[in-house]
Amino acid sequence: MSVLTKQAPGAAAALASGGPGKLRRGTARRKNQRSGYLFLLPWFLGMLFTIIPFFASLYLAFTDYNLFTEPNFVGLANFQAMIEDPRLWQSLKVTFIYTFVSVPISLAVALLIALVLNRGLQGLAIYRSIYYLPSLLGGSVAIVMLWRYIFGNDGIVNGFLGLFGIAGPAWVTDPDFSLSTLIVLNVWTFGSPMVIFLAGLRQVPTMYYEAASIDGASRWRQFRSITIPLISPIIFFNLIMQLIGSFQTFTQGYVMSGGTGGPADSTLFYNLYLYQKGFTEFEMGYASAMAWLLLMIIAIFTAINFIASKFWVFYDN
Amino acid sequence: MKKTATTGVPRRIFLGAAITAAGLALSGCGGGSSPSAGGNVELNFVYWGDSNRAKMTDAAIKIFEEKNPGITVKSEYQDSGPYADKLATRFAGGNPPDVLNMANRSLLEYAQRGTLADLKSLPEIDLANIPATIQSRGEVDGKLYGLATGVTTIGMVVNKTITDQAGVTIPDDKTWSWEDYAKFATEVTQKTGGKIYGAGYDVATETGPILFARQRGEDFYTKDNKLGVSEETIREWFQYSVDLRNAGGYPPAGFFEQIGGSPAQSYLAKGTVASQIIPINNFKGYNEASGGNLVLLRMPGETTGERRGYSADPSMLWSIAAKSKHPKEAAKLLNFLINDADGAVETLTQRGVPINPDVADAIKPKLGKDDTAFVDMVAAIQEDELAPAYVYPKGASVVADTLKQLATEVEFGRITPADAAKTFLEKSNAAINK
Repeated sequence: MSVLTKQAPGAAAALASGGPGKLRRGTARRKNQRSGYLFLLPWFLGMLFTIIPFFASLYLAFTDYNLFTEPNFVGLANFQAMIEDPRLWQSLKVTFIYTFVSVPISLAVALLIALVLNRGLQGLAIYRSIYYLPSLLGGSVAIVMLWRYIFGNDGIVNGFLGLFGIAGPAWVTDPDFSLSTLIVLNVWTFGSPMVIFLAGLRQVPTMYYEAASIDGASRWRQFRSITIPLISPIIFFNLIMQLIGSFQTFTQGYVMSGGTGGPADSTLFYNLYLYQKGFTEFEMGYASAMAWLLLMIIAIFTAINFIASKFWVFYDN
Repeated sequence: MKKTATTGVPRRIFLGAAITAAGLALSGCGGGSSPSAGGNVELNFVYWGDSNRAKMTDAAIKIFEEKNPGITVKSEYQDSGPYADKLATRFAGGNPPDVLNMANRSLLEYAQRGTLADLKSLPEIDLANIPATIQSRGEVDGKLYGLATGVTTIGMVVNKTITDQAGVTIPDDKTWSWEDYAKFATEVTQKTGGKIYGAGYDVATETGPILFARQRGEDFYTKDNKLGVSEETIREWFQYSVDLRNAGGYPPAGFFEQIGGSPAQSYLAKGTVASQIIPINNFKGYNEASGGNLVLLRMPGETTGERRGYSADPSMLWSIAAKSKHPKEAAKLLNFLINDADGAVETLTQRGVPINPDVADAIKPKLGKDDTAFVDMVAAIQEDELAPAYVYPKGASVVADTLKQLATEVEFGRITPADAAKTFLEKSNAAINK
């Protein structure tokens, strides 16, 4: 985060300096402000589309709204029903496994590739783009469809395993493997944390490494004692973003299973189940309550991370 | 365009806007057509299906517009899955289409929430020629909320090229039992050296167990809209597939990756299975996709069970939204869809055998070999005495999902057929009685 906040003092100073040459500067400032607000306008308008549904869903969470008739207030009934809903627990299980397996792996892969790319390769921009591309596409329908074929019974993965005489499992249709196939897909989209890591690595002053090599520190030691602490704010930022993103996974599960969360609910992500409740079973009240539970879960995990960060995140300034 | 460029809008932004606009235009063409504007009333008409069905439907709509000046029809189509989701959102948003396709399993959910118009209250719809048994499949609490788009049923199709090469005789479908089918399927697998599986039917689609239950004297869904199938019957249905797989007649777990796709995507078309259960109005499509040598058979067990399992079912229904702003015109369109022979000549048996017998007779000479086989089979089945069939209950879509899920659990041996049957009844009853 140091990278992101470093510019802040300068910018603040620029804003605060209204000192000499008041008149001219004043009008310039007002003009700047006006265009600033103008540029912010789309965001404000966009917020309306977020804030209204946001509060509507909070209200609906306490009703039996079924999309077609007027909602009736039912108190905490939706939340009580959740406790006894086995599919809700299944969807939480799927989402948690997915998050806790794929986030650490994809962060590790992202950091590793960033370290490799940071060694002053020729044509860095090209490599960066190649590795970044999947994360732009990963959540898209086409790529998930492609994944289905790659991991299908006649796909290249099993074809490759077949060369060594291994009969690969049914990656997509076997409930024991389907989620791991999606985890691999998620790990493959390490591009956006990688780009952020790369930016972070470039900020680490080379003099530290020079000093360390003079002292005889090994590369691994340098990585552990210089690189990791100095980029720990970046790791922290990536961790939070990845965590939130993966709790909200929807497309991968929807496309892979044709909307069912199958085989046998093994890819029933929380958001996919929420969608099923709302739009195929018409229980929008329940679905709204689920949305708020997810918000609470994400908030709790983010809070835990912020508290834990005090013990391992190092801010240089 | 020129002007925009010269007033100094950065080229990048301008390009971006152009690309966005192009994207919007692209996303707008996801199927559908809006023939010549200028009419006084525009109806929105939605249905599910593929581009082939859309082409035939468009041709019929054109005739409707010619016959009804002042009405234009804006139609949209999608695959059945996304269609169902979009329909729900449109109704919820208070912007329902005027005339629409309704699935058997969703009728009650929509009707009981007051979202559909009573078709009997619309004099534009002529019901004089529509058999009472067909009407009953769209009736809820004495009101008519849906009319069958056509009649169909399920059947077994066998690829004769495969069985001939393997030297396996296809049993007589008038009398064959489920054991006969199992024996036949297993023999095909053996004689093809395991390259082709004899059976490839879908365990998880409810039409199979519905027929199976009827053969055993049970109504899967009862007259008072409850679940009537017994635990034992569901167990047998699952057990049958497990036994057939163990014997080699049915493919191993995980073999089927995509079920319910188009005929061209089917395993029958790929030539990896020799037989499949299909809704027989699709016989033509499957036959064309599979090399043209499919034979259409009756389901096994029809003469060996307690009673006949067959029923002539609506392949889907037409409904009108209660909130339609043009109920009169919508009724005209619906009437056209079921009663107009000129329109039916364009759509033929795409959505089942037309429910008006006069219309069915009128299109008969225009049908090709495969469609004729389909129509003849539906007629032949109805010559025998069939047990009545009923509207699907509320919660039927949850029942369908539950069946799918449990079928997979059984497929991979994660649960026994007995436990699956028990869970199926618990979950289904909970959904229906809610």
